[in-house]
Amino acid sequence: MRRIFRSRAVGAVLALALVATACGSGDSTEGEPITVASFNFNESVIVAEIYAQAMERAGYSVERSMNLGNREVVKPALESGEIDLVPEYIGSINGFLGGTPTADSQTSWDEAKALFEELGVTLLDYSPAQDKNAYVVTAETASANGLTTISDLAPVAGEFRFGGPPECPEREFCLLGLETVYGLEFAEFVPLDAAGPITIAALEGGDVDLALLFSSQGVIAEKGWVVLEDDMGLQPAENLVPAIRMDVVDAYGDDLTTLLSEVSVLILQDDLTEMNKRADIDGEDPAVIAGEWLDENGFPAS
Amino acid sequence: MDEGSQLMVWDQAVAFLQDPTTWSGPNSIPFRLWQHIWISVAATVIAVVLVFPLALWLGHKRRGADIAGAAVNIGRAIPSFGILVLTVMLLLELGVSVLSPWPVLVALIALAAPPVFTNTIAGVQGVAPSTVEAARGMGLTEGQVVGRVEMPLASPVIVEGLRIAFVQVIATATLGALVAWGGLGRFIVDGFSQQNQGKVLVGAFLVALLAVVAEVGLTLVQRASTPRGVRID
Repeated sequence: MRRIFRSRAVGAVLALALVATACGSGDSTEGEPITVASFNFNESVIVAEIYAQAMERAGYSVERSMNLGNREVVKPALESGEIDLVPEYIGSINGFLGGTPTADSQTSWDEAKALFEELGVTLLDYSPAQDKNAYVVTAETASANGLTTISDLAPVAGEFRFGGPPECPEREFCLLGLETVYGLEFAEFVPLDAAGPITIAALEGGDVDLALLFSSQGVIAEKGWVVLEDDMGLQPAENLVPAIRMDVVDAYGDDLTTLLSEVSVLILQDDLTEMNKRADIDGEDPAVIAGEWLDENGFPAS
Repeated sequence: MDEGSQLMVWDQAVAFLQDPTTWSGPNSIPFRLWQHIWISVAATVIAVVLVFPLALWLGHKRRGADIAGAAVNIGRAIPSFGILVLTVMLLLELGVSVLSPWPVLVALIALAAPPVFTNTIAGVQGVAPSTVEAARGMGLTEGQVVGRVEMPLASPVIVEGLRIAFVQVIATATLGALVAWGGLGRFIVDGFSQQNQGKVLVGAFLVALLAVVAEVGLTLVQRASTPRGVRID
């Protein structure tokens, strides 16, 4: 706890100092290169590439620091100015900053933005596309038991084996929430991996009946699996959102933030799932996928 | 680690040990201990069945020193986790259930085989040629030479190979939890994910305890299996 507090205080002081020195520059694409970073998984790299290439196509100078690591690594790097821009998830960053993430995107975004600005980082407009915990069954299981929502699991949960990451039984947004919010008691919880190959194989092979995956994973569509609707709003919203240092915003002005927000709001759920499939399953280069998305969405390479 | 977090680990460990689900059910210490022991015993026994006869024959023929050397080097060079991940991927491709014990079992057999193989060859080849010649001179058949002279004299070295293999398998079976299998590694992997360091501590302690018990137990067997005539003490 003490360490977190101290790093926040240092971040705030740093941010103030940098904001103070950055005052006075106007709207321009000239200036220090903007360092775009991503978390260490394909989806994050793709979206970071979309941000990076959109800025490059508009004439900004960009540097990349892709696959940097998890949030424990990325957030301090963003606060210290080692990186300037990263695709975040509104629920996760809200919770990480000590807020209370909710199923409502706007509320979660408002709170996360206010908390992050204390550390010299702001959030731009969020994408409709989300990546959150998804409770997934096979098409056969769904039709045999008439499942479309999580609530529909009530009569069959006692016979179902539920597989997810080992931390799931202790998490509000996972097994604990399914038990308390939905009143579900499963026959067994099977510890697997974090929506990785083992979970996918276990659901496909019938070793588990219900599995925790991520909503934007390409494998769900590829296998024709069914994501059960979170009808009681257990999962916090996890829209993608550009998180950018405020001194960079001040240095470059509204043109930059308008551009990034315009790009962000165009990233739809289907786009994200399809791009993830191309990277995760077909092994395509995230940079190429991102470039094609920009071509198709009105940000052509000049 | 400051004083506060040490206390927290201790409190977590105590809370974990006081939880009734720790002592009965599918994620309890007795069940995970049983899983850990049976897969370790099974892997070692299967490894012995697979490689012991060949090693005995090679040793008797005084051949295979090169093969033994290569086997032990390969066994040392390949990381246990690498073998485990490789067998998981391979068996998944073959359609084996991801939750079955097979991926872990196959990986552990592969780890147990080299020490059994090399020690058996080395043990049999280590029997003095003059002793073997004397046995032949007394009219023993080749089978009798192996069964009554070479195997008893080589048994301390053979049992040592068994002991090395078994202790290594017990330690490595812990990794099975990383590929969704059970065993005592479950407490370490789950505790780590759940930020419950107390659970990690209990799991690590149990694995260490089991390995020490196996080590001591097989050392006693090794001493007992040494023919009285060649005992040093």
